[in-house]
Amino acid sequence: MNARSISFRLVAWHAGLLTAIFMLLCAVLYLDLRHFLENDLRQSQARRARQIANTLLAHVKQTGEPYVASQTKEWFDPEINGRFIRISRADGTLVYVSGAPKDGSFDPAKVPVFPPAAETEFSRKLKLSSGSTLLIAALNFKSAGNPDYLVEFGALLDPVETMLNHLFLQLALGLPLAVIIITVGGYLLVRRALTPVEQITRAAERITQHNLSGRLPVAQTGDELERLSASLNRMITRLDEAFQNSKRFVADASHDLRTPLTILHGELESFAEDARLDAELRDRAGSMLEEVVHLGKIVEQLFTLSRLDAGEAQTEWTCFDLTGLARTTVEQMNLLAEDKGIAIACDSSGPVPVNGNHVRLKQVIVNLLDNAIKYTPERGAIHLRVLAADGHAVLEVKDTGIGIPPEALPHVFERFYRVDKSRGTNSESAGLGLAIVKAVCTAHGAEVEVQSTVGGGSCFRIRLPLAKN
Amino acid sequence: MRILLVEDEKKVADIIVRGLKAERFAVDACHDGQSGWEAANACNYDLIILDLMLPGLSGMEILEKVRRKNQSVPVLILTARDGMADKVKNFEAGADDYLTKPFAFAELLVRVKALLRRGPVSRASVLRVADLEIDRLSQNVRRAGKRIELTAKEYALLEYLATQPNRVFSRTMIIEHVWDQSFQGLTNIVDVYVRHLREKVDDAFPVKLLRTVRGVGYSLNDGTEA
Repeated sequence: MNARSISFRLVAWHAGLLTAIFMLLCAVLYLDLRHFLENDLRQSQARRARQIANTLLAHVKQTGEPYVASQTKEWFDPEINGRFIRISRADGTLVYVSGAPKDGSFDPAKVPVFPPAAETEFSRKLKLSSGSTLLIAALNFKSAGNPDYLVEFGALLDPVETMLNHLFLQLALGLPLAVIIITVGGYLLVRRALTPVEQITRAAERITQHNLSGRLPVAQTGDELERLSASLNRMITRLDEAFQNSKRFVADASHDLRTPLTILHGELESFAEDARLDAELRDRAGSMLEEVVHLGKIVEQLFTLSRLDAGEAQTEWTCFDLTGLARTTVEQMNLLAEDKGIAIACDSSGPVPVNGNHVRLKQVIVNLLDNAIKYTPERGAIHLRVLAADGHAVLEVKDTGIGIPPEALPHVFERFYRVDKSRGTNSESAGLGLAIVKAVCTAHGAEVEVQSTVGGGSCFRIRLPLAKN
Repeated sequence: MRILLVEDEKKVADIIVRGLKAERFAVDACHDGQSGWEAANACNYDLIILDLMLPGLSGMEILEKVRRKNQSVPVLILTARDGMADKVKNFEAGADDYLTKPFAFAELLVRVKALLRRGPVSRASVLRVADLEIDRLSQNVRRAGKRIELTAKEYALLEYLATQPNRVFSRTMIIEHVWDQSFQGLTNIVDVYVRHLREKVDDAFPVKLLRTVRGVGYSLNDGTEA
């Protein structure tokens, strides 16, 4: 499972928080119960000590100490009930001490005498050699006209300990089980909640990749996801309309520009080839024809850009070797370079597979090489490199040309931008070649960058994702 | 040979009619979809040239009607739209060829002749233009018996020009035939190749075969025309 996915994080938080809360609850429950049970035992022992004091010792003058001892034994039957009872005088001598309990869990004779204390009632815990704990509540009996006595009433903590141990065991086993149930339940719940999101995502991916005519599924649940997919659908509809409008505009403009160009072209062509006209007239017609052809090219490139803007290069993708494409293109353009005495070197680190529109990516290489040849003086050099680096295919066209001034660098990919305004007048290019390069790259999710020094040459570098095999 | 032209832009129609008549074709022109379909329905034409955007019936509708009636007549589509999807749609609807405006008349003529399977689209294994000999099997080129070494592209260019001697080929046609559409934006590649070809084919000989027609393109002359 992806550690960054929403479902993983939600389940982790959910399980972590609930586990922490559970652990806290268990700890509180355990400690509280322990405190309550001990206290309860202490209270009941103290109550009995008070009973002895109030009913027996209060009348010791009339009844005498032996009566107190025998009554105590009779009432509480400490040996059978596993109780510890001791009544001692202020000087430490005993009035009564219970016998050893029937189960022999402790020996009352060995229970040490309390050190004198100021409070009327107090208690202590005594760790026995058997491992059990004896909880003793003590009462300082002071009464006018009677001697002082210390009444001690004790019971073993064992039943409480046993119960607490049992609870601890249950919690220790139950908690991990609860955590597992929480995690699994949380995962199932989150997955159930996120399934529609997954469906929406998949539908959205299909829509962007192929066409805008598809819509996201809208489940009539009335929840947030229904609203999300409905609003995404409205957005896609607006995009689709904008896209269609732009396509219609291009088609209409294209028709309206091409028809007069066709007429001009046809008429001038007949002039230029008309043997009855004199040579100068034909030459002028030819000159005009050249301009018409040039105009036609600009129109063509503008439509190419519009179509690229409208996503044309995102269709007809194939997987091919960029190195092979670069090599054949260099071969095809070599003569153009040779004509100016420019050498084109082409090197690569082997096949570089990419996914894309073959025709448009070839146009990118052609435009870059054409640009390099155009702006490199005679006997210059052009270096084309194709390589694969960290998941990207890199295509680099480096020349020893005139370079681009730094202030022009950010604009070279803009439409109709010319580095040198005066240079453009007799050039055949319309200043759209690099704009097309940029548009094709954008359509392929590729980056294009340029580095240049005036007089030192320029380097155009394209990075596009490698095809995954 | 009788050709039907359905084109609503009168001036474009005039240019095509004039040019085709000069090539000795009989041409009927219609300027809207309805009359175009009626004409196509009434006569048996050897070729129909159809503009796509027409008042009345669209070019596509005419094409569908024509195909329902007559499977064999070749149809050449003219269009001012050239989306890739359009191209596919036209061929699926039964168009035989496709030409995007603006076009050179020479291009139209080449396509018309190719569709009519007529004229000098030579399939001979040896092409002869004046004293130039092109062996299409071995790709050997000789002039006046002397062997000329050409690169593959130079050969392709020369062979293309030699298929129709004296016919002017536009740069667009040459690029489409010898290179591919990626080179469409660059006029100068054809000029460079023609110059190199000229050095090899013409420079050593008094009679120049390669001719430049300014603004139009290039042709290979067999010496019968000035």
